[in-house]
Amino acid sequence: MDALAEVRKLVERASRAFRLNEELSHWIELSVNECAINAIQHGNQLDESKEVLLRISSDGDTIEVIVEDQGEGFELADVPNPTDVENLLKPGGRGILIIQSFMDTVEVTGRPEGGSRLRMVKKIQNGKQSDRR
Amino acid sequence: MNMTIRERELDGVVILDLAGRITIGEGTVVLRKRIQQLIEHDQTKLLLNLAEVDYIDSSGLGEIVRSYTTVRNAEGDLKLLSLTRRVRDLMQITKLLTVFDVFERESDALKSFR
Repeated sequence: MDALAEVRKLVERASRAFRLNEELSHWIELSVNECAINAIQHGNQLDESKEVLLRISSDGDTIEVIVEDQGEGFELADVPNPTDVENLLKPGGRGILIIQSFMDTVEVTGRPEGGSRLRMVKKIQNGKQSDRR
Repeated sequence: MNMTIRERELDGVVILDLAGRITIGEGTVVLRKRIQQLIEHDQTKLLLNLAEVDYIDSSGLGEIVRSYTTVRNAEGDLKLLSLTRRVRDLMQITKLLTVFDVFERESDALKSFR
């Protein structure tokens, strides 16, 4: 997906700008990619006429990532648990769990204009993770 | 680096040495096709060596799971070798370590297929 190449470039720029170490950059990139893939595939249903908005910012103590799509919206509570026995051998469904495992805050809200807004936050201390992953 | 695959065969086991990033797109498609080709040639003892996989996302994990079920349905087996710390962390989080046989040493992995 060309879009993911753009996502990677954005994460790399953010990592340099916010002086994140390599470990933190890796997990941020993974989390952002998972969100972007979900927004493109599930949110926008692969409709190329729809957009995904991605914003990465930092206040020095945290990294905040916002991903918005133009889909129908969803609730985190409705996402099946991929670690349940009946889901373990399914090929998909692990993205949200991965994000929630790494990020300190993950929340989904509806956008007034339609679609979902996923906000995730990771605490950082001078570019180091606040907890080891 | 996009994913690359090198292959070896030892003791009747096909060892796929994967390297690079296993993510949605070309990497997962290449893996799926190769696994299917091996099964069609009755090569169903497969060992994925992940020592040089530095990045995997949920799609990459999903493709490994898909490969596993495909091989098992063909009455074969697929096992994993040399997980990097990051891959192991992801497989721990997703409970996939309870699904796969994982080995640190190739010799132990090969013995397990006998």
